[in-house]
Amino acid sequence: MSTVFIYRDRMLPNTIAPLSLLDDPQEWSTFSRSVRMQPHVWQSSVVFQGMHCAACAIAIEDALRKVSGVGAVQISGASHRGLIEWSDRQTRPSEWMAAAMNAGYRVVPANDGIANEQRRSDARQLLWRWGVAGLCMMQVMMYATPVYLSKPGDISPEMVQLLRWASWVLSLPVMFFSSRHFFASAWHDMNQSRISMDLPVAIGIGVTFIVSSWGSFEPSGPFGGEVYFDSLTMFVFFLLTGRWLELRLRHRTAGALEAVMNRLPDSVNRKTSGGQWERIAIRRLVIGDVIQILPGEAIAADGTVLEGLSQVDEALLTGESRPLSRGIGSTVIAGSHNLSSPLLVRVTQVGAATRFAQIVALMESASVSKPEIALAADRWAKPFLWFVLLSSLGAAVYGWPQSPAHALMVAVAVLVVTCPCALSLAAPAAMLASAGALARSGVLVRKLQGLQALASIDTVVFDKTGTLTQDAFALADVQTREGLGPAQALFWAAALARHSLHPVSRALSAASRQEAAKNHQLAEWESLQVNSMQETAGEGVEGEIGHVSQPNLYVPKGKLRLGSGRFCGVNLAEAPFLRAVLADETGWLATFELQEEIRSDARETVQAFIKQGLHVMILSGDGDAAVQKVAQALGITDARGGCSPQAKLVALQKLQSQGHQVAMVGDGLNDGPVLAGANVSFALGQAAPLAQSKADFVLLGAQLGVLVPVWAHSRLTLRVVHQNLAWAAIYNATCVPLAILGCLPAWLAGLGMALSSLCVVFNALRLSTDLKHN
Amino acid sequence: MAILFLLIPLSVALVFVILAGLWWAIYRGQFEDIEAEGERILRDD
Repeated sequence: MSTVFIYRDRMLPNTIAPLSLLDDPQEWSTFSRSVRMQPHVWQSSVVFQGMHCAACAIAIEDALRKVSGVGAVQISGASHRGLIEWSDRQTRPSEWMAAAMNAGYRVVPANDGIANEQRRSDARQLLWRWGVAGLCMMQVMMYATPVYLSKPGDISPEMVQLLRWASWVLSLPVMFFSSRHFFASAWHDMNQSRISMDLPVAIGIGVTFIVSSWGSFEPSGPFGGEVYFDSLTMFVFFLLTGRWLELRLRHRTAGALEAVMNRLPDSVNRKTSGGQWERIAIRRLVIGDVIQILPGEAIAADGTVLEGLSQVDEALLTGESRPLSRGIGSTVIAGSHNLSSPLLVRVTQVGAATRFAQIVALMESASVSKPEIALAADRWAKPFLWFVLLSSLGAAVYGWPQSPAHALMVAVAVLVVTCPCALSLAAPAAMLASAGALARSGVLVRKLQGLQALASIDTVVFDKTGTLTQDAFALADVQTREGLGPAQALFWAAALARHSLHPVSRALSAASRQEAAKNHQLAEWESLQVNSMQETAGEGVEGEIGHVSQPNLYVPKGKLRLGSGRFCGVNLAEAPFLRAVLADETGWLATFELQEEIRSDARETVQAFIKQGLHVMILSGDGDAAVQKVAQALGITDARGGCSPQAKLVALQKLQSQGHQVAMVGDGLNDGPVLAGANVSFALGQAAPLAQSKADFVLLGAQLGVLVPVWAHSRLTLRVVHQNLAWAAIYNATCVPLAILGCLPAWLAGLGMALSSLCVVFNALRLSTDLKHN
Repeated sequence: MAILFLLIPLSVALVFVILAGLWWAIYRGQFEDIEAEGERILRDD
């Protein structure tokens, strides 16, 4: 994205509206969509504040489900986003939002400035807490160093006392400001009688502080004269560093989502009925409005260009990285950027109907879906926490009679060294980072589970029409009756064809228009009239040609017909390609042979898969001859034509019963059941409405070339997830016993815990780099 | 070395002064949108 040209000056509301305001249907519709086929049911997209681990998501889900009228609830621990289904007959947004707040989490509607503002203030607050902990830690270290380095007797006891006092003073902000959040949420969780990551942390920090303060002011007390202010501040600092990095990762990947969502401008120039320009909020745009888009601005709605010629950047929406040229009559999509000159656009889709909104909706539902591997990790995290709490209690009780201070510090080490964080972050962090990278290449992940499934496929099944070949046909050959030139025949055919939307008609009309443009006859081509036009769906079109100005043209007798052989009353021999016939009342005039165009990157992709040892096959509904022709061109040996959707599904299930993991690539429209039946599925986004697509992945740019990199990326993702899980398991399995045995000082435990979290987050970050195209 | 009895409390005070500076910087948004300042030179207006 060319950020250099793009500036966003955003005025955000600083105040947060009271919840009851959201009960106005107009308000809630800004962050909710009505659920298809279910009147009065809404799906709201919200952001939760105060979430800090995977267990929180479960707590919120429980709290929300208790509200009557709330249906399905999906919450992502990694992105802090949730989708909530509720019925406007039984409840109101303020009701379920209040329920979440009682559970200790603030709810902010997503898709509006408030969430943005909140995110910024969260980031500032965390940075500030981190800064306080960091600066105080540095200074406390300074005060601790002389005591460590000096020989006994080098420093006077008064000086030691002064250094301790200074350390204590600087630990206060760390204790009561920087780590306040840990205490607050641990306390809250205890009130709700559940445990979370913050509980061991809070106990560890609290105990260390009490032991050290006691040691500072009453060295002869029960805990002796040892102080651990340096360990304490360092632990908090590292912990906050981990949180900070996690926050950055989240902002960057659920973040890729943010990047897409933030692409719409807040306001736009609209032409008033008097021809003036007015600046209005994009929420107030309606279909049919004429808007002006200046260079550097984002396009606010889907529409058709009325005036101007410019370059647009659709990279985020289609993965097409080159600027695309858009002139009069071409369509532009919301969320793309106008790069070079002003455009006047007539709005054809607004709000949730735009392609942009559909993409955002898809990404949102993906970021809250949980892959199996993450669910498994979550199930392990909770018993593990209990084990840690109990074993630290055991260690404290066991050592207490000998030395209470030492026993307590061993318990603290056990508490702080464990890192269930690494366990529950391992899978979602990696998968979200990966989904973000894929989104930037124009591949939407609808279900994160798909990434896991894709990594283990051994068979790729392609549909033919619209997948390996382009949607459009190309004119290959024209055969005509004697006395009639191919150009003339095409001219008449196009006169009928341009009124029809059938792919064959479109191909003929496009070919003829090109021909006319070449011969400078565009005006005549466009002015040709056809009377009493009639289209028979799936068969053909007929009509009477009006006035003909060119004298040397063959004039058809009576009604012209264009369509299948049967429609035109002509017998055609079997052939492996598509044909259309033109006839008038005297009989056959011409036959047009049409060819499917194979996508330019199809062969390369198929060959790359074969080279990697995958089995590639075609299952198509088309005639066998046509399918074999395409298969041959692509180098695929296993191709079956004439399959109904049902037959495709049966073939697929047969493969699966033989133990194959199958990926299906289709156009997403006719292949619904097959896509749903495959282990993992891809849909080419241009063919089908995005929202109805059943596929795990949607290729927005309709380029097959990304398939191989996506597959490679999914394998890398799964590898990273496994590395993360293995790392978390090995780390905890070694460090917890060491800490229980008392071999780990508190500072080392803190360092180990922080580093293990950082490892997981950094390892996941590797996946957020863009795809490698080979 | 008696001066340390003055310097150490002073250093504690200094940390709080620096923290105040950090607070000012964070809440004035000094650490956000770091690229924007560099790009401003390319801006027309």
